Amino acid sequence: MRRVWLLALRDLRLEVRDRTGILSLLAFFAVMLFVMALALGPEEGPLRRAAPGVLWVALAFMSTLLSTRAFALEVEEGTLDDLLLTPGGKEWIYFGKLLSQVLLLLPLGLLALLLAAGLFHLPLERGLPLLLTLSLGALGYASVATFYAGLLARLRGREALLPLLLFSLVVPVVLASVRATVGLVEGLPLAELADWWRLLLVFDVVYITACALLFPVVMEG
Amino acid sequence: MLKAANPERPDALTWALLALGLLLLPAGLLVALSAPPDVNQGYLVRIMYLHVPTAWLGYLAFFVTFLYSLLYLFRQNPRHDRVAMVSAEIGLVFMGLALLTGMLWARPTWGVYWTWEPRLTTTAILFAVYVGYFLLRGAIEDPELRRKAAAAVGILGFINVPISYMSVKWWRSLHQTQSIDLTTGRVILAPEMLQALLFNLLVFTLLYLGFVRFRGFVAALEARKEES
Repeated sequence: MRRVWLLALRDLRLEVRDRTGILSLLAFFAVMLFVMALALGPEEGPLRRAAPGVLWVALAFMSTLLSTRAFALEVEEGTLDDLLLTPGGKEWIYFGKLLSQVLLLLPLGLLALLLAAGLFHLPLERGLPLLLTLSLGALGYASVATFYAGLLARLRGREALLPLLLFSLVVPVVLASVRATVGLVEGLPLAELADWWRLLLVFDVVYITACALLFPVVMEG
Repeated sequence: MLKAANPERPDALTWALLALGLLLLPAGLLVALSAPPDVNQGYLVRIMYLHVPTAWLGYLAFFVTFLYSLLYLFRQNPRHDRVAMVSAEIGLVFMGLALLTGMLWARPTWGVYWTWEPRLTTTAILFAVYVGYFLLRGAIEDPELRRKAAAAVGILGFINVPISYMSVKWWRSLHQTQSIDLTTGRVILAPEMLQALLFNLLVFTLLYLGFVRFRGFVAALEARKEES
């Protein structure tokens, strides 16, 4: 458990010290929202209807870029083998990376949510349920993204392969998060949305368990 | 599924399965064409006798890939990886056929070839997952890493199969619900139609077994050539 924290904190410190990485990510995200808002036209109705979909697709892009960074640094500095050589199980590397990913993705997602609210007239009155959707969805993205990023870390052409493999796999997460967000925007009662959150929770648990079990087997050798 | 480590030629069982499957295929077609028309859909319902078995085989093939991917990760035997790959290949072909027959049926029934409905979408995504599986295999040169990475995708990708199967129940929309519901064992088909469907399912499963064994043999030959 201590190792997980240490690894996550180290990664976070590296990202914060570097800054350019996160800033360029955020700029990319903002430009993407601008272009989408421009493309979808000035009327309020279509923009609001498109907002949940745009938000979650943009978050998916963000999580891909973020997870590539998580292992790119290790490979560049040659520290991945050091991590893998530490005695004991290897699951903690996955959990550490996942934790740092989630800790980065959540504030970024929150900013994204505010940005989408401004540009797409996304109502924010029901903040708490929106936050719940955001956390569950971000966790779902990060769980698979981290695993694949580790798997592909030593490969050339990983930038193209990762989204391809990742997007097809996280579609259930996209679907459930978008439906939940749409429900919140349209003002459906929370009880009707509970199913989507339950579905998200099940995905998160299944994916994280499967990835944590597979990670040591795949990374060895 | 492949017993001999280094077979010279496909064994008798493989030939028997292939021959039986191919011989029964016209019979299956005949049964499907002579089955009674549906009350609502008329003769159009006969696409079902092709559509359901191909989709079922897609699921089955991906399940076999899942199983042998797991086996490979635990045993590290390249043979298991070969079966997983071969099964994914055949599954991809049958899933493609299922999508195609589904589209042919959708045009006269719904008026469009394709609509973004949960069952269709999840099936198309399932297709994309296994296209990714082969792209990944093509991208990695180190054979051991390739086998491990492919196994990981084969396992994680399979999570989408139950979702695709259940999608017609979770999101009630355009697509028919299952005629044979595996989760409750409920059957809503006329007996003659059920018999025809089951017969076609059997024929396609036989064909699948024959294909997997035959293709596995070819893959084993390829692997041996690569080594030497």
